Amino acid sequence: MTTPASRTEAISTEPIPSPGTPPKRLADISVMIGGQGGDGTLTVSDLLGRYFRKLGLYVYTSRNVLSRIRGGHADASIRASCQPILSIKPDVDILMAFDEQAIEIGRSELGPEGIVLYDSTGSAADVPQAYGFPFATLVGGQVGQPIYKNTAAYGALSVLLGFDPVMTRQVIEERFTRRGEEALAKNLKALEIGRQAALSVPGLADRWHVESGEAHDQILTIGNQGVALGFVVGGGRFFAGYPITPATEVMEYLQRYLPAFQGVVRQAEDELAAINMIIGAAYAGARVMTSTSGPGLSLMTEGIGHAGAAEIPIVIADCARVGPSTGQPTRHEQSDLAHLANLGHGEFPRFILAPATPLECFQLTVDALNIADKWRAPVILLLDQALCQNTTTSPPYDLDGIHMVRGKRLSGADLEKMTEYKGYAFTADSGSPIAPPGTPGVWSQVTGNEHDEWGHVSVNRENRLKMMAKRMGKMVTAVPDLPAGKYFGEPHARIGIIGYGSTIGPILEAQERLKTRGIRTRFYQPRTLWPVPGHELDPFLHGVDVAYVVENNYTGQFARLIRETVPWHHAKLRSILRYDGLSFRSPDIIRPITEGV
Amino acid sequence: MVQSAKPTQPIWCPGCGDFALLACVKKAAAELKIPTHELVLVGGIGCSGSIHNFLEINGLHALHGRLLAQAVGVKLANPNLTVFAAGGDGDGYAIGMGHFMHAFKKNVSILYIVMNNETYGLTKGQPSPTSQIGFEGNIEKPFDAILTALSIPAPNFIARTFSGDPKTLTAVLKEALEFNRAHRGFAFIEDLSPCVTYNDTYKLWRERVVDVSKLPGYDASDRKAMFRLCMEAMDSGKIPIGVMHRPPEGAPLDPALETRVLPAGALGPARADIEIEPNRAAYAKLLHSVA
Repeated sequence: MTTPASRTEAISTEPIPSPGTPPKRLADISVMIGGQGGDGTLTVSDLLGRYFRKLGLYVYTSRNVLSRIRGGHADASIRASCQPILSIKPDVDILMAFDEQAIEIGRSELGPEGIVLYDSTGSAADVPQAYGFPFATLVGGQVGQPIYKNTAAYGALSVLLGFDPVMTRQVIEERFTRRGEEALAKNLKALEIGRQAALSVPGLADRWHVESGEAHDQILTIGNQGVALGFVVGGGRFFAGYPITPATEVMEYLQRYLPAFQGVVRQAEDELAAINMIIGAAYAGARVMTSTSGPGLSLMTEGIGHAGAAEIPIVIADCARVGPSTGQPTRHEQSDLAHLANLGHGEFPRFILAPATPLECFQLTVDALNIADKWRAPVILLLDQALCQNTTTSPPYDLDGIHMVRGKRLSGADLEKMTEYKGYAFTADSGSPIAPPGTPGVWSQVTGNEHDEWGHVSVNRENRLKMMAKRMGKMVTAVPDLPAGKYFGEPHARIGIIGYGSTIGPILEAQERLKTRGIRTRFYQPRTLWPVPGHELDPFLHGVDVAYVVENNYTGQFARLIRETVPWHHAKLRSILRYDGLSFRSPDIIRPITEGV
Repeated sequence: MVQSAKPTQPIWCPGCGDFALLACVKKAAAELKIPTHELVLVGGIGCSGSIHNFLEINGLHALHGRLLAQAVGVKLANPNLTVFAAGGDGDGYAIGMGHFMHAFKKNVSILYIVMNNETYGLTKGQPSPTSQIGFEGNIEKPFDAILTALSIPAPNFIARTFSGDPKTLTAVLKEALEFNRAHRGFAFIEDLSPCVTYNDTYKLWRERVVDVSKLPGYDASDRKAMFRLCMEAMDSGKIPIGVMHRPPEGAPLDPALETRVLPAGALGPARADIEIEPNRAAYAKLLHSVA
């Protein structure tokens, strides 16, 4: 079916329900907004999110953008639910398309009863339940600038979903007031154009009705914000980084937050400089961090090894994306784990922590700073693109349970009682007392070369053996300080699921849906990935007949580490893998488990 | 008093130019009465980069080529420290070139000393970025750090010295350290420090060095004049030494980076109180700002 591009009336391709039809009530809704980069798809998602939150709903949004500033297909998905959610809904209920490509891409994800609204200015739709409105033409004519078409689209969606007109308008006021009176007035005009267009289609108004929820106490945030806030309250005061998707927001938040706390944030000339700047600052006694993604991590590998050898406490947030090489900068993957576990030449201790929600990003960043400081070793926070950048409702960040662990930091009074100060002293637990430069009366020698207790370069054989044992010993002595795993589902179920990072969202949803089909599962979410928590994996795997390891990579990297750690359970492990650049949807997990039963 | 790491014996060959530099660094620091616990030397990788082991000060032995990035981190974390970075010409001008260029631009108040011997000594005499054509088969034109430094418009202190002239070397080191300690910005000294084993240039350099301050038209506050002076000296087969740039006295300066990113009198990242209690109210306000 083709439609003239110049038409100005809204045309439905489906019979319009009679006005008396009661609205379909939804407790869990998903809207996908697609168009060209610069069409304002993210703005529509943001406006809907603000409205849904006024209803007290839990919200989760994801975006699919290209690595370019304007142009190219871009889409945003928003889900709102009465229940807590941490993933995108498998089916799209409403598709808002600004062009034909968005219709093509979005229709494959559309649920059986899905509705399409589209901008008919230059597009036609050959889809059931599609309603075209010439938003760009209407807004261009009446407001003067077609760019406000996204606000008109929000207006049309508000009619379809039976939004309260006053609250709908409040959302626009809240979003655009700070842009100035003119911008607000134009957006309000565009909103009304969209609303009137939708109201002119008989039966479209209040077709669906979204239920209210009780999530009013929630905040809206992203994992990268959790990392930045955790860094501040965890005493982090020096950050150096290099812009890279999807890690850059960590640096941007810290540029806003840290100056008030005598903190310093520097954008370095490259990742080599960034990692070495934080090494210098950590040596001087500051709590430090950098954030990066795969390509930057490859460059930082040299510095991380140096910190491991020289026993310098640093934290690296790896916001993983699709690799190798430049890969797909804006897409999601969990394929850095194998590199992180083995990163660097030679052997040195490192700890890898894996938060799964923004709140865990906040808490585990504090843990990472404490662990690094106490054990004087590199600590890596492993995130993934969906966790870093997808916005989600979350319980508010607070200071409950936040505490500082400074390790064996020597004060002037401590030093007065000592006869010798050795920065690499051999100790029973592998942690050496340290006095940062500037401490009166003492000085430190720190080196990445093999060294003796004083920090002098050494090739002595016995010293080498003792120093290796001291450093590597941290991998054992630090274990009680590492974040423990979490368990969900039915404790005695014979089917196990293992997953970390943002995969917990679709896994938790899959567990609920499997339960309704009578399939009982238990889910283990490790929060420390290195050293591999064998003490948690062994009893968990002991209790199940089969365990599905859910990961966004090709080779099943965590499953391989599990096999290496608890090889006697190897026959129970099955991998569920997805590496197309997108997050799991719950059916990806439900299907193989159901087939396995 | 508690015993800290004692200096070890230098690994350098007898006659190495680095001995003169080491002696002058000790002399300059002592004459300026800088407390040893406030001195940090960030060493590179190579013969010259081991210098931190031979001094009673804080030493940070960096990765090859990365000493400037580490030194910048040290200074920004605790601006109260006096921070040197010291390494060789391979470290600074080959593997560390990116950081070298940016150090001038960043303008953090640290002193960077390159001991230039025109070869990779520790790996036994390969050509370096400053090697002359013909040295060990080198067919690439040598790089000149002073001309490069002069080309970056930042208010840095720039000098070239010669290990064969320790008196001038000490005086230049003192001026550079005072420049740093006044938070006036980045100071760079290239010290011509011959490798007696693989590239013994003492005699050649003694004949060819020319003190730029004795040349007509010398004005260290005028970059254009100094660039021309250096080019002309080099064209006539000479090696210009001396202070190549110092920002004009009393002229308005771009403040050093550490004074731009931290408020006056701030303790900075390494010394700020990071315990929860004193920060509780400010933290709570920050966390509540997320809605």
